[in-house]
Amino acid sequence: MICFGLSAVRTMRAVGLVLPMAVLGLCQPAAAAAAKTTTLGFVVRDWFTAIYNSKFIDECPEGLATSNDETWWRGLSKADRARLTDNGLIQNLNRMPTAMRRGPNGENVCLNPTVVQDPPMRVVEGKYSFGANLDGNTDGQASAKTCKHDNFTHPDGTPGIDNQMYRLIGCVYGWRRGGLPELNAHEGRGTSGLGMTLIEITGVTDPRNSPDVTVSFYRSVDQFALDGSGRPLPYSSYNVDVAKDQPRYGDSLKGAIKNGVLTTARGDVRLPFYGNYNFLHPTIRDMDLTLEIAADGSTAKGSVSGYYNLDEFLYYVGGMVGHTSTGDNCPAMYVAGHQLADGYPDPKTGECTHLSSAFNIGAYSAFIIHPEGSEPKTAKTAAAKP
Amino acid sequence: MILQKMQLAKIAATLVTLSVLLSACGEAEPQAAGAPPAMRRLTNEQYRNIVADVFGSQITVAGQADPLLRTDGLLAVGARSAHITPSGFEKFYGLAKSIAQQVVSEDNRAHLIGCEPANTAAPDEACAKQFFTRVGRLLYRRPLLPGELDTAVSAATAAAQTTGDFYRGLSVALAGIMTTPQFLFVVDTTEPDPKHKGQVQLTAYSKAARLSFFLWNTMPHAALLDAAEKGQLDTKAGLQAQVDLMMASPRLDVGMRAFFDDFLRFDQFETLEKDSVIYPAFTVKVVEDAREQVLRTALDHLIERKQDYRELFTTRKTFITGPLARIYRIPTARPSGNAWVPYEFSADDPRAGLLTQVGFSALASHPGRSSPTLRGRAIRESLLCQKVPDPPGNVDFSLFEESGTNNKTARERLTAHRTAPACAGCHKLTDPIGLGLENLDGVGQLRTTENGASIDPSGDLDGIAFADAAGLGKAMHDNPATPSCLVDRLTAYGLGRTPTSGQSAFVAYLKQSFTNDGYRLPDLVRRLATSEAFYAVSPPEPETKPVQAAALASQPQEKAP
Repeated sequence: MICFGLSAVRTMRAVGLVLPMAVLGLCQPAAAAAAKTTTLGFVVRDWFTAIYNSKFIDECPEGLATSNDETWWRGLSKADRARLTDNGLIQNLNRMPTAMRRGPNGENVCLNPTVVQDPPMRVVEGKYSFGANLDGNTDGQASAKTCKHDNFTHPDGTPGIDNQMYRLIGCVYGWRRGGLPELNAHEGRGTSGLGMTLIEITGVTDPRNSPDVTVSFYRSVDQFALDGSGRPLPYSSYNVDVAKDQPRYGDSLKGAIKNGVLTTARGDVRLPFYGNYNFLHPTIRDMDLTLEIAADGSTAKGSVSGYYNLDEFLYYVGGMVGHTSTGDNCPAMYVAGHQLADGYPDPKTGECTHLSSAFNIGAYSAFIIHPEGSEPKTAKTAAAKP
Repeated sequence: MILQKMQLAKIAATLVTLSVLLSACGEAEPQAAGAPPAMRRLTNEQYRNIVADVFGSQITVAGQADPLLRTDGLLAVGARSAHITPSGFEKFYGLAKSIAQQVVSEDNRAHLIGCEPANTAAPDEACAKQFFTRVGRLLYRRPLLPGELDTAVSAATAAAQTTGDFYRGLSVALAGIMTTPQFLFVVDTTEPDPKHKGQVQLTAYSKAARLSFFLWNTMPHAALLDAAEKGQLDTKAGLQAQVDLMMASPRLDVGMRAFFDDFLRFDQFETLEKDSVIYPAFTVKVVEDAREQVLRTALDHLIERKQDYRELFTTRKTFITGPLARIYRIPTARPSGNAWVPYEFSADDPRAGLLTQVGFSALASHPGRSSPTLRGRAIRESLLCQKVPDPPGNVDFSLFEESGTNNKTARERLTAHRTAPACAGCHKLTDPIGLGLENLDGVGQLRTTENGASIDPSGDLDGIAFADAAGLGKAMHDNPATPSCLVDRLTAYGLGRTPTSGQSAFVAYLKQSFTNDGYRLPDLVRRLATSEAFYAVSPPEPETKPVQAAALASQPQEKAP
């Protein structure tokens, strides 16, 4: 009787390359299986900010945030509106470059968000959010690692949810579910092969239940292998991005798999990211990963939570092309972001530098190839198991 | 350096020949009656090879001829009875015209024509004659007869006068040559056998053509035609020397690839379709690579490493590409591009041998599911040379295909099907074999269950029970029909016809020799190519005379220059 499962991690020398392999093989006897470990690999395809949208936008009682274009438009006289839009012929979507350069000296306010002072940004005031309790409390009080903030309740009833990124962008039209920035970034990653995150789970004794695994994050130098409808094909191979015999990324977390669900301890993880023509290398602090692996092992979906660097996030927003359609207003978001940041206070100013955040991810099974001579980084987080 | 390698290869090949001769001591080749001469239409691949060999690979052959009818398991045999219909001729004419235009194009004329006309706007008979003398010899696989050469030159002259362009004239005449039967058909030409009064033998040029199409799947190269012209192919030593040279060439791969492509019926890949919803990973590239993987594995095993043919059904060594690796669910350091890398399945992997490769399992399946019946039939007919009757037209598929029948696995469905007496007879021939591959789905991906039910991959091949796909490979290895079939097919492929009853002793001799040689394909190929029987012909059969006459009438009645 053949029984397919992921068999022992082996090293195979093929065409001069050392390949870490997880191959389908025969079931091992119980005693032998206990001594062997396997490796699971995934390539992340979907990366969406976890946004809680109520049916009637109750979380934004005063309405959605005012966009940069709207703010600019409101500040113009009728004569200026006619002059700057070619007597109205330049439509909303096409006047973005003009609207962005509304600084007192024509500065781009997304690259220089402090040169103007806009009305306060409308932010989320609702009760519910996705995410996790990052600081361990339910009252939002400040601590050595956090600033005072309001907590959310998870839709499943869990209190103490920290997600200030959602609070910041949850009332911005483009950031709400199905909005342009996320979808555009998603499509861009899928077709360009940029900013591709690989997740490697080592020390797996059983793909459905493994008490002690190590989860490492890398960047791929190979593009997605896609099927005819544009979806990634499971079981493709991806080479790890390496420089000087070391992965460019490679941070690790300890974790466990229980009933097919991987959960990790928290730790700082630097990830590759590409979206809306911007490259980022965010280090998500106190990050954890939950990954529900499909029964056949071909796909997985889950979530990431942690503290996201505010400056990097604002850089991302500021560097986007197409703010008119995203609904962002950089100067107002810059102010609101600094007010809402709740993690990692600056030792000098006391002002928090990170936003609590949560993301939904989707991934496809993958073989992660470490080029010959490169060695995976040693797990740097030795936190207790979750 | 290349010369040194060729010399070394020649020495090695000569040594191999000597060893074969020694090992075959006492096993003299039995006398075999020849078959009547025949004419075979060029296959698409032969046509392309000839164009590339004569004019270079930069010439595009944009199109292909009508398909051939597979006969007795081989297209090569079907080529013998191929006709060219009016529409088929149009295709050949279109190809010839396009090729001829490319040959005389400004980019190519300097190195392909070989001479320059005194005036490009006028005919130049000397240059045209020089060109057609050289090229015509290669295209017709023999020197052009004086009349043929005159016709070509006259046509080029007339067209050049009409168009005011020497090269266009040349192009018109070249297209004409490439649409003649002498080019499109490989014709067995005969001459009286001086040793046996009343008998005939193949001309040396026809011997060269038979040898070259067999070993390299293309027309004889200039040196082989030279050898034919000098009579070297009429002596045992001369023939062996040419065979050794050709077998030492990397072009042997081309010839053997063509044989296995025909033997394994891989022309079916050209129309292979799979349901992309069910098998999203089975892309166009996978189809291309799956075909190539089997051929590459076979050539590496049989030609490069000179291994036992039977072990082709048990070997775990193969080659993969990125697209194939996704189907096999194995890692590769070269996930994209066209790079082939060696790969060996581990000893505990369910995959072993050619039958477990995607190329076989996907080809012998339905678009959306596997088929033990198709797989069993493919094994019987292609690999064991056994005939399985076609299904009757009134099969009641509702017995096993309708939903709600609770038949989750193919084994259950086919068991239900076999209850119909009309179906049972044939399915007993195919299903017990094909069920051994049920751990491979419709595109060859591993699986353990079907519709939630565990798959039982056990089966039976001619009374030998096996537990799984690897066991089936072992049963194939041990089945005497496996090597026997290869000899039958290779012989028919080389001869271009199924051996006649008068050649049965010769085929038996080949089979015994193949066994004695450890089932090494190169030894078999060499023995066949150097045998007298391979070139033996008998006078044309009376009933085929009208057909043959058309071909033979255009053959030399006058001595070639």
